Amino acid sequence: MIVAASAVSAITEQFGLQWGHLIAQIIIFAIVVFVLRRYAFGPILAMLEARRKRIADGESKLEKIARDLAAAEQNAKAIVTKADDEAGRLIKEAGESANILAEKKRQEAVNEASAIIAKAREAAQLEQEQLVTQLKREFGRMVVDATSRVTGKVLNNDDQDRINRETAAQVSL
Amino acid sequence: MLAEGVSPYASSLFGEKSSLSFFTNSFLLAGIVLGVLLWISRKATSNMQLIPHGWQNGFEGVVEFLYSKVEDIIGPKVAKRAFPLLASVFMFVLISNWFGLIPGVGTIGWGHGSGNLTLSSVSTPLFRPATADLNMTLGIALSFMIVWLILTISEVGVIGFLKHMFAPKGKFKGIMMLMMGVIFAFVGLIEVVSIAFRPMSLSLRLYGNIFAGETLLHTMMSILHGAPPIIEFIGSILIPLPFYFMELLVGLLQAVVFTLLCSVYILLSTAHDEEHDEHH
Repeated sequence: MIVAASAVSAITEQFGLQWGHLIAQIIIFAIVVFVLRRYAFGPILAMLEARRKRIADGESKLEKIARDLAAAEQNAKAIVTKADDEAGRLIKEAGESANILAEKKRQEAVNEASAIIAKAREAAQLEQEQLVTQLKREFGRMVVDATSRVTGKVLNNDDQDRINRETAAQVSL
Repeated sequence: MLAEGVSPYASSLFGEKSSLSFFTNSFLLAGIVLGVLLWISRKATSNMQLIPHGWQNGFEGVVEFLYSKVEDIIGPKVAKRAFPLLASVFMFVLISNWFGLIPGVGTIGWGHGSGNLTLSSVSTPLFRPATADLNMTLGIALSFMIVWLILTISEVGVIGFLKHMFAPKGKFKGIMMLMMGVIFAFVGLIEVVSIAFRPMSLSLRLYGNIFAGETLLHTMMSILHGAPPIIEFIGSILIPLPFYFMELLVGLLQAVVFTLLCSVYILLSTAHDEEHDEHH
């Protein structure tokens, strides 16, 4: 104990340890800590924290944006796929409709052509009949004329009619 | 303007008998360091922006670096409370150490005159590095130990602290428990002595290194004492030059060692609580 006390005393004397000096130095160091805490570390740590928070917020927003973008891309992909399907369906339907319409039109054209042909045939038939009738009448007239010239007799209307009917009955065209 | 030999203690600028005897040359330099730190702090933190400007950027870099190191050592929970003290210790010790290398510190003062404004030797320098005064280094160490005790008690409680010191580590039963109790009680006493010596070991290590550096530079400066004046002059400039670089490194190293040891002391006394918290 005495040795320790004398060692402390020796150190105190040799290195100038004094209560007054020690307390003064402690006070000045305490002021240093206070000043740095108040004017340096406090504001700077608060600023670093604010910046860290801002970065974290930014990162979380970025993640949200990335998630939204992925969802939007997926959504867009689904819409495009749906539109593709719809377009395919529409094209198929349009093709089918076109085929049906074409068939219908073709059928109509065929019907129309048939009708035109039938009408033409009827007209030709009618014309032929008229010609035959006219020919028979002309031929009857020629026979009447010839008969009247041969016989020298003026034929009355009844004779002319009878000759015409007989001529027409005997002429087969 | 060379000192006769670097005094192992600071000299009072107003005389030992004065009521201002506490105002020593190391106290004066400590005040200047305080002023410098205040100036840098205000310069860096006035008009702070989210996108930092030059001074703010530099100081933020230092603070962020220190905080990450302290956080790595003592954990995020305690770091928030211990950081201001540890960072203050680091900055104050570092700047005080480096201030000792500024020309004029230790070489301007009162002594034996040999001409106009010229002294053949300086007996009472006007400035002395604050960390080359045991009063200052012990003051820092004691301040730290007080904060360490408060931090430890607030983190683990008085019972936790005593258990941490004296309680047997591990699970024992019966006679083994008794034997281990005795052994760990003895180990606890050794731990108490070790803790009691921490302020002395911290302060003497720092003081010894900086005082030794001062003495080394002084010796190198006056190694050609007695040679022709021009050679003595050139030698007093060139010979200590390499040692200035070494002292720059020593100054940084001692600041790091002091802060690191303080951090480790905090870690040792609060680690249990941190681990306990992490389990929960």
